[in-house]
Amino acid sequence: MTGFLVFVCVVALVLINVPIAVALGIAAVVAMLVTQGAAFLPNVPITLFQGATSFPLIAIPLFILAGAIMNTSGISRRLIEFTAALLGSMRGALAQVNVVTSMFFAEISGSAVADVAATGSILIPAMKKRGYPAAFSAAVTSSSASLAIIIPPSIPMILYAVMAGTSVVQMFVAGIVPGLMAGFGMMGLCYWYAVRYNWPVEEAFQLRRLRRSFKDAAWALTMPLIILGGIFGGVVTATEGAALAVVAALFIGMVIYRELDWKHLREAIIEGGVQTGAVMLLVAASALLGLYLTEAQLPQRLAQQITQLTSNPWFVLALLNVFFLFVGMFLHSAAAIILVVPIVMPVVSAVGIDPVHFGVIVTLNLAIGQQTPPVASVLMITCSIAKENVWTVTRANVPFIVVLLAVLLLVTYVPATTLSLVNLFYR
Amino acid sequence: MLAAFRRRYERLLEWIVIVLMAALAVEVTVGVAFRYFGYSLVWYDEVASIGLAWVTYYGAALAALKRAHIGVPELMRMLPPGARLPLALLAEACVLAFFVLLAWVGYTVLEVLAYDTLVSLPEVSVAYAQSVIPLGALLFVLAELLVLPEVLREARAA
Repeated sequence: MTGFLVFVCVVALVLINVPIAVALGIAAVVAMLVTQGAAFLPNVPITLFQGATSFPLIAIPLFILAGAIMNTSGISRRLIEFTAALLGSMRGALAQVNVVTSMFFAEISGSAVADVAATGSILIPAMKKRGYPAAFSAAVTSSSASLAIIIPPSIPMILYAVMAGTSVVQMFVAGIVPGLMAGFGMMGLCYWYAVRYNWPVEEAFQLRRLRRSFKDAAWALTMPLIILGGIFGGVVTATEGAALAVVAALFIGMVIYRELDWKHLREAIIEGGVQTGAVMLLVAASALLGLYLTEAQLPQRLAQQITQLTSNPWFVLALLNVFFLFVGMFLHSAAAIILVVPIVMPVVSAVGIDPVHFGVIVTLNLAIGQQTPPVASVLMITCSIAKENVWTVTRANVPFIVVLLAVLLLVTYVPATTLSLVNLFYR
Repeated sequence: MLAAFRRRYERLLEWIVIVLMAALAVEVTVGVAFRYFGYSLVWYDEVASIGLAWVTYYGAALAALKRAHIGVPELMRMLPPGARLPLALLAEACVLAFFVLLAWVGYTVLEVLAYDTLVSLPEVSVAYAQSVIPLGALLFVLAELLVLPEVLREARAA
């Protein structure tokens, strides 16, 4: 009964625009005061402190920082020039460049928002100038940016791994194949459009130009090797890999390219700190609510009730997919993970779904959630860069969302897409 | 007057966050470098984790000032102004009450924790690390009060 009241309390507070983190905190404090009395109060600051001290989660501010430095140091621009030289002779070249740059960028940055800032501000105006429909230009930028959270490293995957108590590195490895499938799917879709509407090629393929832009971008292209190589090779943890990413981006920006823009960097660090504060306050508050949930055994009881209905993992996965798609429409992806994962994990393990496999499913759902209004963080930022209406872009975005949905279905019902690499290297 | 104070306060929090973010990045990098050369620093991951908690609460106060916390403002925007104002006041009162309570309890807990020390650095009291909770809560309250006029103005607007 108290469980239901806590739920109502959180929803009511969130609906009158209390920040979700604070709503969780208030509900947890009230519930514990009712069940345990004032002697519980000293646990509040201690739990809120410990909930925010997590070594794996340090990767979040560091990856945000690395992405910000890349955007202000000329690394992003060189990546775009290199892919343009590589793909310029294809029909609809700029759309392809958009998707492929996002795929490169996804290997360095773990945040789709950083990806939009990098590709959108350069490629959307360029695409409009070459006669691509504005809504399509925004849609391809927005959807391909969400590859950043599927292809490692990925901030939502780090959050998921910590919340579900599984390995960050295994989550990263599991994301590789689905990320590439989604990327290639989007490239295929762009090609189909380009042929149908006869979109322009940019220039004939020139080996000389490719070699020059490769030389220029070589340092930027080594970054994924350093970061992912270090993490997958077991030399560094994901957090330490994130620190390496910061150092490498700073080194390349200051020593090699000498383009680091301090004013923008300062703003980017502040933005990173603000994002960290917002996400981590939510993590800490959920630790507080976790005290109550554990006490009341709520997730376990929920798991029992669901497994009494059905213990068929395929059916449970279908239910969870529908649920996460719905949640993704209305919640920021970090909030969705922090709120929902601790509650559904007992169900997931009760019916024997692999937590890493499930993590990739959650990530894909949230990648779709970033594209589906009313709450769609990445889509909104893209629309503001492109100065386009959210609903017009959403209409153009539907085929890309369908690509992501197709990958989601495949990943959900063919676990080998995520688990074969993990099994090969880590189990 | 108030706007000038708010700008200065924002600047202050921004610098705190920049310094903490930079320190966190440097600390983790130095830790990796030392381990790579065979001298593991025992305190490195514990101190880094505390650093994250500090970034969290100073960053959260700054996020309150910039109104960047994750929430759902859509429903309130749909309500008529008459219903919006009392609900906005209620929401602000809830937020303020939570952080005032947190600052007070967080402060009293420091005395209890004064004799506990960090696991990897026995000469440092946990109370120093934990001080971020009452401090951060106070900064959050101040930030929330500074944006209150803006929030109420928006609630009143048609």
